[in-house]
Amino acid sequence: MVNYATAAIDKTSVMRGLVSTKRVPLGSEVYNRLLETLYDEAAALDERRFDDWVAYLEQDLIYTAPLRLTRNGPNKDRDVVRTMKHFDENYGSILMRTGRLAKSAWAEDPPSRTRRFVTNVRVAESETAGEYEVVSYLYVERSRMDNPENETISAERRDIWRLVDGAYKLARREIIVDQSTLGMSNFAIFL
Amino acid sequence: MLHNAGLTLSDGTTLDDLINRDMNEVSLRVMNDKELYELEMERVFARTWLLLGHESEIPKAGDYVMRDMAEDNVIVSRDRSGEIHVMLNVCPHRGMKVCTAEAGNAHAHRCIYHGWAFRADGSFIGAPIEKEQMHGSKRSKDELGLKKARVHLYGGLIFATWNKDLSFEDYLGDAKFYLDQLFCRTDNGLEMLGPPQRFVLPCNWKIPGEQSGSDGFHTLTLHRSLMEGGIMGGTAESIYDTAPGMYGVDLSVPQGHTLRCLEAAQTFKMFADVSFEGKSTEERLNLLPPPGITKDLIPQLFKNLSEDQVKQLANIPPQVGGMFPNILIAFIFAPRMDGGASGALSLHTYVPKGPDKVEFVNFIFAEKDAPEDVKRDMLQNAIWSTGTSGTIEQDDADTWPQIMRNSRGHMSKTITLKYQALHGHERPEGWVGGGDLYPGFTKDDTQWAWWMAYYNMMADA
Ligand code: FES
Ligand SMILES: [Fe+2]
Repeated sequence: MVNYATAAIDKTSVMRGLVSTKRVPLGSEVYNRLLETLYDEAAALDERRFDDWVAYLEQDLIYTAPLRLTRNGPNKDRDVVRTMKHFDENYGSILMRTGRLAKSAWAEDPPSRTRRFVTNVRVAESETAGEYEVVSYLYVERSRMDNPENETISAERRDIWRLVDGAYKLARREIIVDQSTLGMSNFAIFL
Repeated sequence: MLHNAGLTLSDGTTLDDLINRDMNEVSLRVMNDKELYELEMERVFARTWLLLGHESEIPKAGDYVMRDMAEDNVIVSRDRSGEIHVMLNVCPHRGMKVCTAEAGNAHAHRCIYHGWAFRADGSFIGAPIEKEQMHGSKRSKDELGLKKARVHLYGGLIFATWNKDLSFEDYLGDAKFYLDQLFCRTDNGLEMLGPPQRFVLPCNWKIPGEQSGSDGFHTLTLHRSLMEGGIMGGTAESIYDTAPGMYGVDLSVPQGHTLRCLEAAQTFKMFADVSFEGKSTEERLNLLPPPGITKDLIPQLFKNLSEDQVKQLANIPPQVGGMFPNILIAFIFAPRMDGGASGALSLHTYVPKGPDKVEFVNFIFAEKDAPEDVKRDMLQNAIWSTGTSGTIEQDDADTWPQIMRNSRGHMSKTITLKYQALHGHERPEGWVGGGDLYPGFTKDDTQWAWWMAYYNMMADA
């Protein structure tokens, strides 16, 4: 039974970004290739090449963005709430969303101009061979129509990338946004 | 008939200049006026019942959540006896927030500034160094509690008001017959599936507010992707001819609450090609349970609702609408490709945060007695279609700020919004519930009723 109560403490909510201790060092071949993949993925999204982006996704993908909730005292670090989410996606629902973007999705037509800045990338080997925990910081600047003020969002992404036929594919992504009340009007863009 | 409104802005503009009741027009200026906004805080938001959450969020003694009644931050807490209280989160000492967390459990809230402490019911416990009596001697402890709002629970939903006189029954009016069908239909009622999604939009609260007055028309164009995705039936080519899902019975009550009731037979034809003809209420409910209701829960409907209410729920259930001033109701069908539970139950509040800012708060529900896998699907459905990333409401959230930007123009703000596609009140044969009814194609009647509720509250000094 899930305890959905807002006031309840989610015991898993203190989870660290990087769990595995088998670090993949900066500058190593695996690290460099994963970093390159993150940059290429960001470019695919910024350039709105959604088919290219979907090609990075595994069929068993789980892609979520839990809520942040301000807590204090003994619970002050338990601020990631997974009973509610901003995104709760699987491969099929991502296809539904990218399919919609190709039609009448006024939230992105005309499209936003976006820049995804990916930094602080940390990589570790996961328990499954060929799978890597990849934690990155994400900062997005989003320019909407002729509005001179950009909307922005900052987040940490906790990913699992899997080596499939010589290329890295995204199997898990959890987007830990920093705001409890979002300053971005909608998530019609992917993070 | 038209009495003179008791509202005149400092430049001499009257409420009748802004809201033309003969022409059914509203000046765009109402969306961007500081003076009007201040009056709204006083005459609307401090006077009516406001939705803050659901009791399932704070099940245990001491549980609390932080919420907003317009720009007033409040603590919603459950005391030792299980009673729910709503009080200003403003320390009577020097104005600090007494509670700094958005949710938690505390039997006493101690202000971090100088340490004044308050019980979960808002009453004052004392200040540190009791023997020095740091609350002074001019006011008794009874006077130093947190300022409290009146609270009413309806189907577990927590409503609060600063108004000493308005009863919740008078606030609901004839809408109760319909709203019971959504909020009070099962033995253990609704459960909120986690804290609300919250995000801020750069627009006036009335822009989403008037849409929640049951604007059905915009579905065809703004939410065109619903038809393209096959969710509403029809195809992108045929939607303007067949107008799927646009026919039904819209209704409003003088309090400004509105609903769109959509024929289940029509919905059914869109989702599954089986006829509804000649079936009993129970058979119909089993063929197509209303959004959020599983087959196991159907006997509970008969237990908790009147025969007329169940009949309506089976034949022409209320699905979208709003409660005045700032609540949107979306209890909708949301077909899934994987055959999972195909309903989404969302309520939103559009909380004013200044004349040009609104906080969109998205509360997502399931019936408490629904199985866990159904709750999981319902949560996902609601996230896919409503709120932050919802494919329906992404488009709303992108449209409203554009209206807001237009409301700044010197000439633009003189443009009037048109509510002239009117059907007029007409009672369908055999209809049981009250209110003003507008059967047929969804028109502007309900949104105009929303503006009339606004007019009446704003005119009442
Ligand atoms: S402001 Fe709260 S104790 Fe002083
Ligand atoms: Fe809408």
